[in-house]
Amino acid sequence: MIARRVRYEITARALGPALVAMERWRSRLRRRGRGAGRAEGPFGPPLESTRKLKELTALHYLAGRFADGAVPVAWVTSGFPVEMLRPLGFHTVYPENHGAICSVKRMVPELSDAAEREGYSRDLCGYARADLGSVATGKTPVGRLPRPDLLCCCTNICQTVLYWYRALAAHFRVPLVVIDTPFVYGEAQPHLLAYVADQLRELTEIAERVAGRKVDRAALVETMRLAREGTRLWDECLRAGRARPSPWTGFDSFFHLAPIVAMRGTRECNAYYRMLRDELNDRVARGVGGIADERVRLLWDNLPIWFNLRDLSTVLARNGFNIVCATYTNAWAEAGSMIDPADPEGSSARAYLHVLLNRDLPHKISIMKRLCREHGATGAIFHSDRSCKPYSIGQIDLMGRLASETGVKGLLLEADHADPRAWSEAQAYNRLHAFMELFA
Amino acid sequence: MMRTAAIYAERKLGHKTVAVLPVHYPREIFTAMDVHTVELWGPPGPPRGPDAGRIQAYACAVVRNALAFLASGGADAADAILFPHTCDSIQGLATLAPDFGGWGKPALRYLHPKGGDGPAARTFVRAELVHLADRLAELTGRPLALPRLAEAIRLHARIDRLRGEILSRRAFLGMDDRELYRLLRRGEFLAPGDHLAELAAAARGLGGERAQRGVPLMVTGYVPEPATILDSLASAGAFVAADDYAAVGRRVPLSPPADGGDPLDTLAAKAFTMPPCPTRGGDQDVRMEYLETLYRRSESAGLIVHIQKFCEPELFDVPAIRRRFARIGAPLLYLEGEMEASLSGQVVTRLEAFVEMVDAGRKAP
Repeated sequence: MIARRVRYEITARALGPALVAMERWRSRLRRRGRGAGRAEGPFGPPLESTRKLKELTALHYLAGRFADGAVPVAWVTSGFPVEMLRPLGFHTVYPENHGAICSVKRMVPELSDAAEREGYSRDLCGYARADLGSVATGKTPVGRLPRPDLLCCCTNICQTVLYWYRALAAHFRVPLVVIDTPFVYGEAQPHLLAYVADQLRELTEIAERVAGRKVDRAALVETMRLAREGTRLWDECLRAGRARPSPWTGFDSFFHLAPIVAMRGTRECNAYYRMLRDELNDRVARGVGGIADERVRLLWDNLPIWFNLRDLSTVLARNGFNIVCATYTNAWAEAGSMIDPADPEGSSARAYLHVLLNRDLPHKISIMKRLCREHGATGAIFHSDRSCKPYSIGQIDLMGRLASETGVKGLLLEADHADPRAWSEAQAYNRLHAFMELFA
Repeated sequence: MMRTAAIYAERKLGHKTVAVLPVHYPREIFTAMDVHTVELWGPPGPPRGPDAGRIQAYACAVVRNALAFLASGGADAADAILFPHTCDSIQGLATLAPDFGGWGKPALRYLHPKGGDGPAARTFVRAELVHLADRLAELTGRPLALPRLAEAIRLHARIDRLRGEILSRRAFLGMDDRELYRLLRRGEFLAPGDHLAELAAAARGLGGERAQRGVPLMVTGYVPEPATILDSLASAGAFVAADDYAAVGRRVPLSPPADGGDPLDTLAAKAFTMPPCPTRGGDQDVRMEYLETLYRRSESAGLIVHIQKFCEPELFDVPAIRRRFARIGAPLLYLEGEMEASLSGQVVTRLEAFVEMVDAGRKAP
């Protein structure tokens, strides 16, 4: 145990940063050869912060390789109130984030095949299939995922995670904590708030047992403060997208979302977003855009199509179209503002109940209208995501309402957030080009 | 008596009607408040109107058909609708139809807890029951009377006991599967008293001698639709010896409610005495243990996993079911449907072949 802890700490604090520094030096040399900071193709100059993002992510996964047996490990859903775990020293793994990485690295078909051999249907969430396939085979693009001591799932993003984590709990034979956040129609009723707050107290008891120590309330309060601040910083980054031209693309923002999802409530997360915000504001001041020639500004709805981001963004950018806002990235800028460090359980209950995917369609359309208005978006791409039903049901009506009530033109683009086998390139680009012609 | 006739019969008595989406809801509260419930499982067959196209084709047929049915006026005889907190798709429908068109009358929701039993979940169920009763009081103009609720709990306990008895002693009932499921599923729309009378009459037919001679099979899945699956099983020489359909077997509590005390507490406690159902979460191992016990107790010779396509709660448990039943050497047939009006010839052939194989296995020395 002590040896493992030493190895984990050395990796996280010394070896990892040293490797990252070496990689930074090598990439600087490579970029010097190519001309650093120069715009590529139809895009503006790349964001400098991206390098730091890669370092943060690499360090997190590198440390994770040595986490089990050294520190308590929790596998956590993206909408889980992770702040409650931080003071107990958990190393957290986000299978959804891992699924996105698997998709970007084009590993999902292989991992999904493995899951399908176990009996999981291809109709299930692509993240879940990637994760369950990775668990079955041990294959992952991040080297190795640490075995969980605790599984933590919150139903505020979907109920899929509940079924998925039940299967993980049966596989790993470890406790599963479910924070059940009943769907909110209008505003949350008092008994819903009380229910979630009660579950958070129950979570603390279980997490303390697994971690073998008690929560330090002062540390919890500080984590909550950091989480709220991180949310605000992320919101400030997104607000930069209101400028013309937008200093980045929505596709950039999908990648830069990772720290607020996976490192929420940490100093590293906030330091990163300060850096990103400052860079974005600097680009705004200098009139540097995410794409070279921004003509039409769009909203994106639903998860990204991770495996195809580069191609899709290139097609859009070549034609002067920029995604300047997204309901998905905005979701992490909203609810966190409700967190009150003075009332960790009560305010977390409110915050985690009121996330976008846990709220009704009138709320969703109001968010879309606001985002389009504030960002000057005149079109919207609705990613009809085969493997995310809660996000996709209602999109056809949302698209129609957005068009009739605000004049924002919409395109329904069918794909899957993780699995390229559900992507019909010719059909999708045909539809996309027809959509772009509407703005001629 | 079919659904519409049942609604009009109740209306003559001055009772309101609530259409109910699948699966779990506290029917006792409705009975106590003289509100008639009619369940809406799809309906099966092709969508009854163009509004199914408002939901992507990769969502399950239950919600697509339900939206089409509601929007085409199919449930207009009802005074309100209830959406239980069953899955993401029904949850989505619960805002799509009332908020964006398809249902213009009052919409109620019942948010049952997901995950395990615990103090937070129990407190929440009770609060949610009170909330639902308040919404029903707005509909009926009368508040919930606790003595009436206690009475309704006793009535439904009698119904549950008879349903449980019929299902657990199914092999001793001289009724084919089509008749049996017609009887059990009439509970989805009959007044509880009428359903109780029919069940009691059927239960009197439970003899001491085995009445079913065919190949005993267990089924698990969402809903026995299309109902022709039962005909196909019968003509292949099999019968349903054990039922784990969400619509049927999973709604029979494993133990009777406690006597006395606060009826709201009693009803809240009932939520935690139900058979494992993935739509309510809970430990997967506990469910597998339950399924194996049900299989063994019913002396089933094979298992049919009958899934509605795109039904995530059911689909995620399929690998665990496969593993568990492979371990005990039980033959398993996986069928996937989309609430079709009838089974395809291909599926019928698979069923027949499965029954033949199971039967041959039973007869082998």
